[in-house]
Amino acid sequence: MKTKNKSMIIFFLAPSLILYLAIFLYPTVRTIVMSFFKVEGVTDSISQWKFNGFGNFQTLFNTPLFMSSLHNIAMIWLVGGIGVMLVSLLFGVILTSGVHGKSFFRSVIYLPNVISAVAMGTMWINYVYNPDFGLFSSVLKGIGLSGQANTQWTGPEMVFWSMLIAYCFGMVGYHMLIWMSGIERIPVDYYEAATIEGANVFQRFSRITLPLLKGVCRTNIVLWTVSTMAFFVWSQLFSPVNLSASTVTPMSYMYELVFGASNSAVTVRDSGAGAAIGVILTLVVVAVFMISQLIVKNDDVEL
Amino acid sequence: MKKKLCSLMAVLLTCAMILGGCGGGAAESKAAASGGESKSDAKSDVTLTYYSMWNETEPQGQTISEAVAAFKEKTGITVDVNWQGRDIRKTLQPALDGGQQIDIFDEDVERVNKTWGKYLLDVEDLAKKSYDTTNGKPLTDVINKQLVELARSLGPDGKLSTIPYQPSSFMVMYNKDIFKAAGITAAPKTWEEWLADCAKIKAAGKTPITVDDAYMASLFGYHMGRLIGKDKTLAMVNNKKIDDPAVLTFGQQWQEMYQKGYISKNAAGNIYPAGQQEVASGNVAMYLNGTWLPNEIKNSAPADFNWGSFAYPAIGKDGDGTNANQYGAQCFGINKNTKHAEEAFKFIVFMTTGEWDTKLAENSIGVPMANDATWPKQLTEAKEVFSATTIRYPWAVGMEDVADINAKIKTNFALLVSGKLDAKGFADAMKK
Repeated sequence: MKTKNKSMIIFFLAPSLILYLAIFLYPTVRTIVMSFFKVEGVTDSISQWKFNGFGNFQTLFNTPLFMSSLHNIAMIWLVGGIGVMLVSLLFGVILTSGVHGKSFFRSVIYLPNVISAVAMGTMWINYVYNPDFGLFSSVLKGIGLSGQANTQWTGPEMVFWSMLIAYCFGMVGYHMLIWMSGIERIPVDYYEAATIEGANVFQRFSRITLPLLKGVCRTNIVLWTVSTMAFFVWSQLFSPVNLSASTVTPMSYMYELVFGASNSAVTVRDSGAGAAIGVILTLVVVAVFMISQLIVKNDDVEL
Repeated sequence: MKKKLCSLMAVLLTCAMILGGCGGGAAESKAAASGGESKSDAKSDVTLTYYSMWNETEPQGQTISEAVAAFKEKTGITVDVNWQGRDIRKTLQPALDGGQQIDIFDEDVERVNKTWGKYLLDVEDLAKKSYDTTNGKPLTDVINKQLVELARSLGPDGKLSTIPYQPSSFMVMYNKDIFKAAGITAAPKTWEEWLADCAKIKAAGKTPITVDDAYMASLFGYHMGRLIGKDKTLAMVNNKKIDDPAVLTFGQQWQEMYQKGYISKNAAGNIYPAGQQEVASGNVAMYLNGTWLPNEIKNSAPADFNWGSFAYPAIGKDGDGTNANQYGAQCFGINKNTKHAEEAFKFIVFMTTGEWDTKLAENSIGVPMANDATWPKQLTEAKEVFSATTIRYPWAVGMEDVADINAKIKTNFALLVSGKLDAKGFADAMKK
């Protein structure tokens, strides 16, 4: 029986294990090693690599644009995270409270996730933020706030916030679904009992729903962290040709370091520093995961 | 036992599949190479692989597709085009490093010669020969000399290793109808004339100039070149210090442009391609851009858009004159490991001279390579600027070489032309 099992284990595991090793582990290890070397092109042979110690990391932390990218990603994670979590939780609670047209609203709120980010970005930039005919400018003009209507939503002062709003708009639906699945797992009896005892809707939310959503909350934070660390497309959409201080993120900076800029062929390439950014991002994700494990302890409640 | 054997086989099979997948490129190229080798004497029966920087759907791609068919008919040589689009800057190097059979590739003259220089075949000798379409002269005698010299100067060891095509130059592209309506008869040559013309355009109810985030660094670079000259401008980039006293002059001059309403009120928030769309819509007269602009916005601009071009005006006595401009080209390069250098070069000659050079220029409203070809009518004035250029600015006069400097220009220039920074504030912010 035992030997049978072993061969079955090998039989089923081998393909995925080998694929995993080749496609994930090898590039991961290579990237980590590369981050300590001076490497120009990402496919340069190892004989052309020059050992650089922590040089790549030092260079990065002395580069204003990289520091801007870290600042931007931190703001996206924190401010965007709080906003998205609160709004999506609110929607989740409302939609699970027995309102009419639940599946319709759920689909509508989730819809931006189905649409390509490029299409969404184009819509936001051209039809919402445009200072001549955009939604914001028209609405503000319509209610008589012509001063505010002239705001350059994509100018250097506002572009970060414009980008963040556009991004979060698309993310709410996704996190709402996760909240909803968590809320729907909570037995209805709890709420019924609480209602009979005289608890109002806020008490039911804060005493039953929230405490029982701890696990889901952690899942949401980790998923949010992973997706914001990979923040790239929106940064490219709001600065499509070359990097801007307000919209640069570690991923878009890494992209330019590894593959060069699109306008200028002579912008310096540095794949070693690109790899170092990858390593830094990984460390950040792991750290956030550990911290969220510590802060939001596993719920011992068996539902 | 049987099961063990089974699982072993499964493991082996998977390994084989993975290795097979990895080695596919090499095996393929070997087969192709040996196939080519055996027929290397019969030069007409060769297949060339061309990694192209174009997409099949853009005018250049469409024209190249037709040219490939015509080339096959004429010479029997097949050109297998691998349409990479601008992704080629990511895909080419890994493919070459992986030993894939690629005979020809193309991209911007600086990228092909500098970034990919180590993969290039020296084509000095091939370029000295004459071909069907060169009227018995060497190729280098019948195509644009300025660009051949540029390709040679950028080439590895100063050797001509690429053949330029689709040339372009960077200058002020403008709407001639707006100029006419404003009563401007000649393009401005100095900053005073420029300001006077801006006033006329403004009085005619149009916006004189716009810019967007992608080209702010170029505008700053050109203006600094005109104030203090190319060398001093590039020196600032090399020292990573944008601290020349003339930066303040730049700030004052563009602050005036803003205060007088000469620059589009949307300029600070324009995300590429919003600036050129303002030109296409007919509201804005001028835009500092490349000769590729008429092609880029032909779908949004009216078909009879009346294009004009002039060199960015001369500004200070210490700066460059209107004879200093950026120019460049796309370039064909041949892989140094190719087995079919002659055939590959034949195709390059086919594309850069005669019928297909003209067609490529026509279809893409671009600049032809051959000396005797006519330029599209949209670029008639651009030809004069190009011919009068004696000093070549590098791209954006170096301002995009360092991503940090570019980002700083974008932020501060946008603040300057939206009145959030004054000239001094701009100069101080650029120094930081």
